[in-house]
Amino acid sequence: MCPESPDRGGRNGSTDTRKGCRGTKRSQQIGPIADIDAAISPLPVVSRTVASVPTAPNPPSMAPRTVLLAARDVTVDYPGVRALDGVNMEFRSGEIHAIVGENGAGKSTLMKVLSGSVRPSQGRVELGGSGQFRAVHFTKPSDAIRAGVSMVHQELNLVPGLDVAENILLGREPVGRRFGVAIARRAQRLRAAELLALLGAEIDPAKSAADLSIAEAQFVEIAKCLASDARVLIFDEPTAVLGAHDAARLLALFRRLRDEGRAIIFISHHLDEVVAVADRTTVLRDGRVVQAFARDHDQHRQLDESALAAAMVGRELGSMYPEKGACDKAATPAMELVHFGAVGRSRGVSLAVRPGEIVGVAGLVGSGRTETAEAIVGLRLSEGSLRVGGRSVRFRSPREALAAGVVYVSEDRKGRGLHTSLSSIENTTMPSLDRYAQLGGLRVDLQEERNTTARWIREFAIRCARPDLPISSLSGGNQQKFALARWLETGPRVLIIDEPTRGVDVGAKGEIYRILADLAAQGLACIVISSELPEVIGLSHRVVVLHQGEVAGELTRDRLLREDCEERIVRLASGLSEEKERDS
Amino acid sequence: MSGTIQDAKSQRPRAGAQVFLQQWGVLVAFGLLLAISTWREGFDFLSFENFRTILNSNAAVGILAVGMTFVIVSAGIDLSVGSMVVLAAAIGVTTMNWAAGREWSEGNSVALGVCATLVTGLAAGMVNGALIVFGRIAPFIATLGGLAAFRSVALAIAEAGEIRSSSSTLFAKFGRSGVPLAWESGVNESGSPVFTGLTNAAGKPLTLTYGMIAFVVIAIVAQWFLSRSRFGRHVVAVGANETAARYAGIGVDWVRFRVYAIMGLLAGFAGLLLSSRMNSVSTSGLGLGAELDAIAAVVIGGTSLRGGFGRVWGTVIGVLILAMITNILTISQVSPYWQGAVKGGVIVLAVLVQRGARD
Repeated sequence: MCPESPDRGGRNGSTDTRKGCRGTKRSQQIGPIADIDAAISPLPVVSRTVASVPTAPNPPSMAPRTVLLAARDVTVDYPGVRALDGVNMEFRSGEIHAIVGENGAGKSTLMKVLSGSVRPSQGRVELGGSGQFRAVHFTKPSDAIRAGVSMVHQELNLVPGLDVAENILLGREPVGRRFGVAIARRAQRLRAAELLALLGAEIDPAKSAADLSIAEAQFVEIAKCLASDARVLIFDEPTAVLGAHDAARLLALFRRLRDEGRAIIFISHHLDEVVAVADRTTVLRDGRVVQAFARDHDQHRQLDESALAAAMVGRELGSMYPEKGACDKAATPAMELVHFGAVGRSRGVSLAVRPGEIVGVAGLVGSGRTETAEAIVGLRLSEGSLRVGGRSVRFRSPREALAAGVVYVSEDRKGRGLHTSLSSIENTTMPSLDRYAQLGGLRVDLQEERNTTARWIREFAIRCARPDLPISSLSGGNQQKFALARWLETGPRVLIIDEPTRGVDVGAKGEIYRILADLAAQGLACIVISSELPEVIGLSHRVVVLHQGEVAGELTRDRLLREDCEERIVRLASGLSEEKERDS
Repeated sequence: MSGTIQDAKSQRPRAGAQVFLQQWGVLVAFGLLLAISTWREGFDFLSFENFRTILNSNAAVGILAVGMTFVIVSAGIDLSVGSMVVLAAAIGVTTMNWAAGREWSEGNSVALGVCATLVTGLAAGMVNGALIVFGRIAPFIATLGGLAAFRSVALAIAEAGEIRSSSSTLFAKFGRSGVPLAWESGVNESGSPVFTGLTNAAGKPLTLTYGMIAFVVIAIVAQWFLSRSRFGRHVVAVGANETAARYAGIGVDWVRFRVYAIMGLLAGFAGLLLSSRMNSVSTSGLGLGAELDAIAAVVIGGTSLRGGFGRVWGTVIGVLILAMITNILTISQVSPYWQGAVKGGVIVLAVLVQRGARD
């Protein structure tokens, strides 16, 4: 339609291109910018996270919004799980595009597809920006970076031994004129300082990367993306690791980058910040796009947190969950936390779990759920008091906790929960190995180990033909059953299970729920930590919600029967105050 | 999600040949070497006496390699074994001489010397273990320090010279004599005794030296411990994934500490064997480079350098393979200067085969 500049890489060049292409088909669909901004009313500042982010309307940007990157019918199949199912999305220049959804909804997979670290099973990723679309096949992240698509990972990837400037220009070091070999350190520092200034970050380019705070490191990561001329920046939960002030600064930076004509894509669980900065919000659920919101003249789709939360969780609680057993409220708690916490990660957590009761613990990633559980069994320093069976205790290692009947099934099955290179038998008997040891540990009764393993295989209907082979050969669900069985074999009184169905297929999920319900019915006190709200609600007698390391609220059994309980948990977990909820 | 992907990867069937080589490569290599040796040296090579000689001269390195198997299975390394050997031997013989100088009976002073040797080895191993476990120093670095420091102490004791044992025969018995496999059954015409049982070409009885008996017994016990005992299971678990072992309630620190302490004790035992055989200790030469031979034997035996998998019987064959390579090269009149290159090549090859099978 209009002559295109072939220049796709240069930042300045691409800006010109957009200006010159006002009339392209894509940009017409979006509508006049002025209308978009006029349609947005200032939103109330609600949460600590965005306390200092101005929520004024976005300034009108000069260029029309061109689609820079698009996902077309992207489907990603993992063994036993369809992570993404025919996802269509477009990411436009000059827009902040938020992607929200529950854990397991496929957000991270989508990010990985866009940034080239996962290849879609079906569908394609297209690069736009020059009027027409071009399908691209990113086979590795560097392909995407070359095409101007950069991802800032949650775990930052700076080289600690190098300074800030060296990190920013890693792989694109300016070389001296004379020999073309030596790195021009002055030029490197200047260029880095220039990029940091662009971000409004006051970081000394000569500072060692190891000395940076998390927030500073994130800014350096972003500067790195700018150094590679990224026009699409993807952020995976960027504010999860930041405090309120730094989060606000980061969101302000998002706006600045957006106004320069870049496309910002970010995943967030903090719905308040999504509402504050996102121009466009897409809700994913079970690998599909269920709803899209935009700040445009379409008043019917006014973006607010309630609408987002409702769209995120709008799933039927199926019959996957077994009947909740009765639980004696008067019984002495099997375990009681009083102002307990993992030093530095959580504090003031008070909760009690009685025999036969399942207490759900909900909260966002980083809310201190796992850390608190690890502190209970002695994997982390703890504060406050812990009572097990009425006795005040403090465990220094999982071994001591095990002796007192408190066990913890880790969320990280591969890294911590199981020895993936060892056999299913060895894994099953690992914590209870003393029972098979004869002659003071000189001899382990292999036959008895095999019998025990066979018993659990029958009991939990584990699909495992050769328990003597490495457990990594089993599917996630079967591994998880072994991870649970190994601890049950020790005869615990309190079971803390973290993300019981992570990486587990739907069929096995139901079986694990049944197992947990049966265990509770037999008198085991269970704490179920989960990011999957239906799971927490469907299993638990009570749900405690953590936010930023503290208990944000508790939902009783009756409250869990009400229809809006998921929404309530989402609100509590995102740090929305009680007052706010009563208002709405 | 990413877990699911990796699970899928590990489900991918590995090539059969690779698995076979990783599991049984050491036996294949051993068989090949036997064939080559027999071809080069004739059927005498397969004789009992020849194997007896090889076992005997490699007993000390073999004992070190057995201990090293545990260290490497626990995902560690011990570079200080050669230095622990010389330190233990030097202190042992010095103590023995001191006791003899104070008019102790030979038996008592030898007993004290033997104890001092073993205790010194154990203590050195415990120092390594403490540095690694409580000092949180990487095993490579901690034992690199030991490699320099332990020998240095031994050199200082003897001013880099030799320490001769004051015991005339008793101390040397342990290293030199053994259980004879033939007994005197009469006297021939010329009046010299005739032996029944296993004898050498000259009609003299063959003996199983105490050193080789110790090596074999230690290897068998160690194999049992590694594969059948609770301690062995814990060592494997710690080596396979230390974090997972901690989460499973295993006292990871205590397990690792014991591994290095046992390594030290075995190094002391090897030192005893070597000093007794010489009836003296050369502080500059004894145990020099032993860590290399021990680690090489373990790796050739198929134990994973990443930890979490290993077997003592493989290590024993690894020791034999190294000895046979030296043997063949010597017989083939390859310059001793070149022997190191061949050994080095074999070690690298063993690691390559291992890695090919594991990735």
